[in-house]
Amino acid sequence: MASTEREILRTEIGWAIVVAGVVGVIMVAIVYAGLAMHINPPSNIEHIDPKTLHLTGEFTEPNLGTKVEANGQVTVRMVATQFAFVPQCLVVPEGKPVTLRFSTPDVLHGILVTGTNVNTMIVPGYVSQVHTVFRKTGDLLMPCHEYCGLGHSQMWATVRVVPEAEFRPGADGKVSCDAR
Amino acid sequence: MTHARRLTLAHMWLAFAAFGVAVVLGVWQMWARSPIPAPLHTPDNYFLAVTAHGVSMAYVLPTFVVMGFGYFVAETALRRPLPFPAWGWAGFWLGVAGSVLAAATIFAGRASVLYTFYPPLTATPFFYIGLVLVVVGSWVWCALMIIAMAQWKGENPGKPVPLAMFATVANAVMWLWTTVGVAAELLFQVIPAAFGWVDTLDVGLSRTLFSWTLHAIVYFWLIPSYIAFYTMAPQAAGGRLYSDTMGRLTFILFLIYSLPVGMHHLFMDPEQSTGFKFLQMTLTALVAAPTLLTVFTITASMEVAGRMRGGTGLFGWIKALPWDRPMVLTTGLAFFMLWFGGGGGLINMSYGMNAMVHNTSWVTAHFHLIFGGTVVIMYFAIAYAIWPTLTGRAFASNRPLRLQLWLWFVGMMVMTLPWHYLGLQGQWRRVSEFNYADPNIAGWGPWVVVSLLGGLVLLVSGLMFLWNLFGLHRAPLAARLPDIRYALAVHPPVRVPAALNGFRMWNVVVAALMLLAYGFPIAQFFLNSPPEAIVHRTVAGN
Amino acid sequence: MEHADADPKVLDQPWRIWATAAIASVAAAGLLLGMIVLPVVQGRNAGISAFDAICRALGIQAGSPAMPQPPSAAQAIPVTQVAWSAELIRDLEQADRRNGEAIASQTCFACHGERGFAPDNRNPNLAGQSALAIYKQLHDYRSDSRFNDQMTPIAKALDDRQLIDVTAYYAYLTTGAIDPTTAQVGDEEIVRLVERGDQSRNLPACSSCHGRRAGGPTETPSLVGQNEGYLIAQLQLYRSGERKNDIYHRMRSVARQLTDREIARLARYYSTTLRQ
Repeated sequence: MASTEREILRTEIGWAIVVAGVVGVIMVAIVYAGLAMHINPPSNIEHIDPKTLHLTGEFTEPNLGTKVEANGQVTVRMVATQFAFVPQCLVVPEGKPVTLRFSTPDVLHGILVTGTNVNTMIVPGYVSQVHTVFRKTGDLLMPCHEYCGLGHSQMWATVRVVPEAEFRPGADGKVSCDAR
Repeated sequence: MTHARRLTLAHMWLAFAAFGVAVVLGVWQMWARSPIPAPLHTPDNYFLAVTAHGVSMAYVLPTFVVMGFGYFVAETALRRPLPFPAWGWAGFWLGVAGSVLAAATIFAGRASVLYTFYPPLTATPFFYIGLVLVVVGSWVWCALMIIAMAQWKGENPGKPVPLAMFATVANAVMWLWTTVGVAAELLFQVIPAAFGWVDTLDVGLSRTLFSWTLHAIVYFWLIPSYIAFYTMAPQAAGGRLYSDTMGRLTFILFLIYSLPVGMHHLFMDPEQSTGFKFLQMTLTALVAAPTLLTVFTITASMEVAGRMRGGTGLFGWIKALPWDRPMVLTTGLAFFMLWFGGGGGLINMSYGMNAMVHNTSWVTAHFHLIFGGTVVIMYFAIAYAIWPTLTGRAFASNRPLRLQLWLWFVGMMVMTLPWHYLGLQGQWRRVSEFNYADPNIAGWGPWVVVSLLGGLVLLVSGLMFLWNLFGLHRAPLAARLPDIRYALAVHPPVRVPAALNGFRMWNVVVAALMLLAYGFPIAQFFLNSPPEAIVHRTVAGN
Repeated sequence: MEHADADPKVLDQPWRIWATAAIASVAAAGLLLGMIVLPVVQGRNAGISAFDAICRALGIQAGSPAMPQPPSAAQAIPVTQVAWSAELIRDLEQADRRNGEAIASQTCFACHGERGFAPDNRNPNLAGQSALAIYKQLHDYRSDSRFNDQMTPIAKALDDRQLIDVTAYYAYLTTGAIDPTTAQVGDEEIVRLVERGDQSRNLPACSSCHGRRAGGPTETPSLVGQNEGYLIAQLQLYRSGERKNDIYHRMRSVARQLTDREIARLARYYSTTLRQ
């Protein structure tokens, strides 16, 4: 039991070092994850005009959904709008890197995919982008997780993760839930 | 001490009335989300209720408790009358007018945008104007606290400001900084949009400005609890504060590190870069420091009390503490919940793990545990401690007080532990219902029902709290007016460095850190403006 | 720590120095790691130059420092040509209603009525309809995004100014009130669809967009008092995909989930039921 002023000071300093150590360990873990596993938050300062999203560029209706690009990269383009995702079901291959790109023509939205670390806000004016690999096959839920209006609770989509062998793009490189 | 008595009582009763409404709505919301059919269940009603719950709990309750308790501390800790009490009343009535205006718009169904606003959705402008009035009322309080301390220092040159008042002014200074973000968002973006003066707005900018406020506001709510930890709990336990210096340092750390960290609410947003997210995450990690320092200092203070009461051995002092006293009991319960809440917070702040929990029930669980388990439960303890002084009456028995506090603790744990689990399962936030027929969701049902039971216990406890306070007003007047005393330190400070006796230096530090952490992230919206979004008004017509 | 005899200035100095040093070094470490070390290392492994990676970490270049940007396929086939803007919304607010009335009297009154109430149940009432909704549909007829034998040539004959003025005329007219003596009460099932939706079918409540003060998509029309025959026909056209000028499938995705019975009863509800 410390009682003199000096002893009290010593115990406090000792504890402060422990606290600094705890904070330090957490920071080291985060930096390590960033360096070794490329863990990054989904930042993507890529502007796009929500007012003309449906008129020009990659988020017009026929471009939405899963597509295998010419270089073999799998890209999913999806629009979150009041109060539905377009498309409402998307197919992705298991175990392959996938880039998910989202935007919105109207208000704030956000998504997560249950059972995965896929999570991003969808902010009008920006393209949100998540790079991920889906590890398990099956149907996953992808709800809107940010309040976007009174129909928010009914806004969700399905992510269908299929074995790579069953992931067969059409002539245009596109893959959809209906086609399977 | 009677000067600010009515002022304190008025603030506190308004706060607790709002709390009573919010608790009832909260339970109904949980019911609506559960598999058990709830009455009046439409999205309109649900989001109206969520808005009312959030505004009451996050804005009205803490703001008025902080103000009322601040006036109380200013008189009792400084032992001099409150300067300009008429201004205090002006601030109070501004806040009342604002709260009533906001409540009217919400219950008329014209403000269902939740308490965090979500532009480009906008509510009726009078909703925001009501909230701005509450904030302006609280600015009056900030000014009075700063003046009270300055006058005391003038009368007592070179003496250390009593810790309770030093902490209260730290909160006032922090609150002035905190409100800049939301005030800018409301005055320059949301209110013009709600009135129809503009038809588009920059959503990234509005989110960034709101994030400025969103973390620091939590510490604004929390500081009264910490004042009670440092100055009331050791006294109630019959001991002394272990270290006065650590107390001062803690409140200074809160002031510095609660502000340049708000971007951790935007980890999953596209409009801010990885570099600035990392910088603010580093600063966020440091807010663990004042909490951990507090845990140590208060535990040591309690040990001092326990040993003074004859406790021996490694843990014997814990048994020797007077657990029958509400303040001691609450401190123990709050610390217990703070471990869970703080541990969850460490996961949220790490941006890799944040992706796992962002906007899931995990986050709802985290902030309910921090808010209900550390903030509100200590508000209860503070009310129980100061009400006898305020009313001149004594509680006949501590038994109903203890029962109420235990129920709150049990309810909070039963409600939030399932939420943490459901969040990890991917249960998302801010929806009015779940489709339990979906195989991905079916398994959540029982857990949701368990958390609803926790909510019911909280409802009972909340109503009991109001009843306990109400009952005291009708008790007979005490023969001797109970006075309030703040804990002395083991070694009371005689002189402290200027840095630990005022905020001049720390304001410069906050300004520098804010410039570093928010300077470019805000400037980018002007240097390279993103396209704006069309305003979606939830009120027909322009 | 507290010495009664010490000069406060002397006491203060180490605090200032050490506090500043501690805070500055933490901030510097955060800057160094977040803006330089992490992006450079992550970028190198992803084949991104150090300069680009740092620019991305600072937020002056799009994309993640740890991943190359995907190629962008851009082939625009829009379903409508309407794009909302602050200017367009202002033009609609400041339109010349009298000019609109003059045009409407020649081209619109026959089917939509003089005061905006269509004599034929299969044509829509326009009285008091949202200006944004009317404008969007007229514009879509004109740009062949929506087809109708009568409407398409009429819309094509209007220039931008006339289109806006006609819109403003109809939006200004008084909304029709449902006659309380003939009003019907919706049954529980349909009221539930209107007010609460059906989460299992991805169906938001009709009222979360079409209700008053709902804050849904900009061009959402009001449906209260709309003609039954018109509503049934449009829901069926959306469901079959014949009509597809709704931006991002907002109505097609809803209509696709509705049964014939629900379509009929929703149309009846909106044309006859007092509420909202």
